[in-house]
Amino acid sequence: MSENVRRWLAGGVTVALAAVVAAAMIIGEETAADRVLALGARIKCPVCQGESIAESPSETSTAMMAVVAEKVAAGESDDQIIQYFTDRYGSGILLDPPFRGRTLALWLTPLAALATGVVLILGLRRRRPAAAPRLPEEEGR
Amino acid sequence: MIASVGFLGIIVAAASSAALAGRSILALARPERDTSRWLRWPVGGLVTGSVVAMVALEAGLLADDFSIAYIANNSATTTPFLYKVASAWAALEGSLVLWGLVLALFILSVWVGRARRGDDRLGAGALAVLGVISLFFFVVLATISNPFEVCTAHYQGGIGCAESTALPWSASVSGIEGFGPNPLLQNHPLMALHPPFLYVGYVGLTVPFAFAMSALLRAEGGDSWLRRTRSWTRIAWVFLTVGIVLGGLWSYEVLGWGGYWAWDPVENASFLPWLLATAFLHSAAVQLRRGVLQSWNFVLVIAAFALTILGTFLTRSGVIVSVHSFTQSAIGPALLWFLMIVLVGSLGLFAMRAHLVSSSPRLDSLFSREGAILLNNLLLALFAFVVILGTLYPLIVEAISGDTVGVGRPFFDRVAVPLSYLLILAMAVGPFVPYRAARPGVVWQRIRNPLRAGLVAAVVMVILGRRNGWILLATFLAGFVVALAIRQLWVTARAASAKGGGNLLVEAGRALRRDPAYWGGQLSHLGVALLALGIALSANSAVRGTVEMTPGDAVPFAGHEITYAAPFVRDLANKTAFGATIEVRRGTDLLARLEPRLNDYDSGQTVASPAVHTGWSGDLYTSLASWDEDGAIALDLYWFPYIWLVWVGGFTTALGGAFAWLMRRRRASAPQPVVAEAAGV
Repeated sequence: MSENVRRWLAGGVTVALAAVVAAAMIIGEETAADRVLALGARIKCPVCQGESIAESPSETSTAMMAVVAEKVAAGESDDQIIQYFTDRYGSGILLDPPFRGRTLALWLTPLAALATGVVLILGLRRRRPAAAPRLPEEEGR
Repeated sequence: MIASVGFLGIIVAAASSAALAGRSILALARPERDTSRWLRWPVGGLVTGSVVAMVALEAGLLADDFSIAYIANNSATTTPFLYKVASAWAALEGSLVLWGLVLALFILSVWVGRARRGDDRLGAGALAVLGVISLFFFVVLATISNPFEVCTAHYQGGIGCAESTALPWSASVSGIEGFGPNPLLQNHPLMALHPPFLYVGYVGLTVPFAFAMSALLRAEGGDSWLRRTRSWTRIAWVFLTVGIVLGGLWSYEVLGWGGYWAWDPVENASFLPWLLATAFLHSAAVQLRRGVLQSWNFVLVIAAFALTILGTFLTRSGVIVSVHSFTQSAIGPALLWFLMIVLVGSLGLFAMRAHLVSSSPRLDSLFSREGAILLNNLLLALFAFVVILGTLYPLIVEAISGDTVGVGRPFFDRVAVPLSYLLILAMAVGPFVPYRAARPGVVWQRIRNPLRAGLVAAVVMVILGRRNGWILLATFLAGFVVALAIRQLWVTARAASAKGGGNLLVEAGRALRRDPAYWGGQLSHLGVALLALGIALSANSAVRGTVEMTPGDAVPFAGHEITYAAPFVRDLANKTAFGATIEVRRGTDLLARLEPRLNDYDSGQTVASPAVHTGWSGDLYTSLASWDEDGAIALDLYWFPYIWLVWVGGFTTALGGAFAWLMRRRRASAPQPVVAEAAGV
């Protein structure tokens, strides 16, 4: 009996701990600065070599980051802000390839690779020998 | 003079490589002859030649011999000693000399290992392959990428070198001053360490490839090539890991925005072989234990080596723009041809011989250690695939349609983060799942308490006020991994102690020594978990700000008080530093006096030098955005909580590999009874 109680208690504590962590994750938090930074990380610095405007210390990047910050403060949505920059610099300005058009394959290929890998691994399992022919009742015993 | 000696060294090394390849093939073909001494001269010549080339390059750099074009363009009289030494690998030609030297030393070690074994035909085959590869690099060094080209015309004012000729004995002119290395490359002492470590790791992967080729040539599957290959891979892996972590540390300390990893093509180039080498270290364990995955192991070793060449090609040919592309040259096509030959040759050989070396690839159950390691291999290979895809995708699209698309950090982060968490989960549970077929009850019994420990760790994090999902997940996993390892060690030691062994501590020590590969792996896993926690914390709860200040100003920032004490200007040997003295206080305690600077190099470039105060709870990172004559500054401020976990975790990961490698050696030379005792337990 006491063994049973202990087991239930242990299980209860585990679930409670997991619940606290899950609740905290769901509440989460994101501030305006995070949004500016996250948007900046998606936009390529036009005068640098492969850096985002959030990372590059160049004047162009600083100015572009200021624009992003202004727009975030003005309440524009992420899509609107990204649109603003792609309208002016073309879609090559994005470091974050969209899930459509020329970069659709970029997102789909890894999924296809994952599926192939899973299929290959499942095929590695030892095949169970084909079900043995049923023996007559007497011999089976 | 120095140029002639260095060039001679390269010629000797190239000729010795050819001789090494030829004689190794002969040694392979004539098993009846005693070949143990055949390779002495070629190996000796190769090592001597490559050492002479490296010493000549360093001598030229230290003596400011500007008649050598490479030195005139990459060093200067005012370059500090350490950076003169490091200039040897600051640009393409010099870094290839280091590459050749490292390769020669690896060949020497393989040869020593072979000499110890007597008639070792697997080793002879490996040396033949290594000879061919080293021939390629030394021929490149002697022709299209010659570091000892002499200068025939310098730029106006006797600076640098505008034109040069490949013949080192022709008449040369010597300028009065060199250009010095790229300012970014002389801004931090890690520049002296990071590339050599990376090169040892990178070049070290050639040895496993050579053994794999030799095993295929001889149609010799089995464990012999694998055992030797695994220990070479482990050595390369340790250096590669340290090199990558040092690179992260370098960019953190130098680049001025507090980042340590940006998915830059060159970073990817170092990370790709690392991923596959890691996969191989795991799948090799499965083959040694259960005799499966033989062909897959060949594929991993071949791919890891091919990726080192692909990476070198991508970053040295100029096809991809990267902050690391300090050098570009005609070496691109040569590397591309070499890559083609490597791929066609090795995969062709593999296709012809795979049926002779492969094992019957059947597993009893996927819920087993083998299954966990297969999952690990799937995830690591997928990870590598995604990184290659993301790196090459813009090139492919541009080649097909001429459009430019950007694939950068957001793409990599989005794919890599979930993959990494899955990997860590597999990494946590995997080592505690039994081989063959595991019973869920057994696994649950092993993981349930560590699972709770991980949850407690995450709850503590919540209490400390962090609610970001990634941070909590990373905390949980880190607690889980640590508790799992401790539990396993404790259980092992307790069982041995109860059987009449020594006390717990003694028995724990014995357990560690008994299976260094396993416990080294555990240590590496622990490192990865800490690394993940460090990344999650510093990336998701960093505080950033920019303040404009005049002397005497003070601002509060992330629980600190930041005071701008005074500006300063310092004239240094090859640069002028414009800086600000910043006092960091918490409460009334003065924690640090930081001096972030803008360095104006004599060459005209300006590079910011950030200053960092590292404390137990995080780093306060300061970087100057601007500096005015009247003392007004714009200061970038960052607070990175617990970022030291990234470095500690990274180095711990490498340490695990080093532990497995060093302890294994000692055991191998230990007397027989120890092994018997180990087997009995």
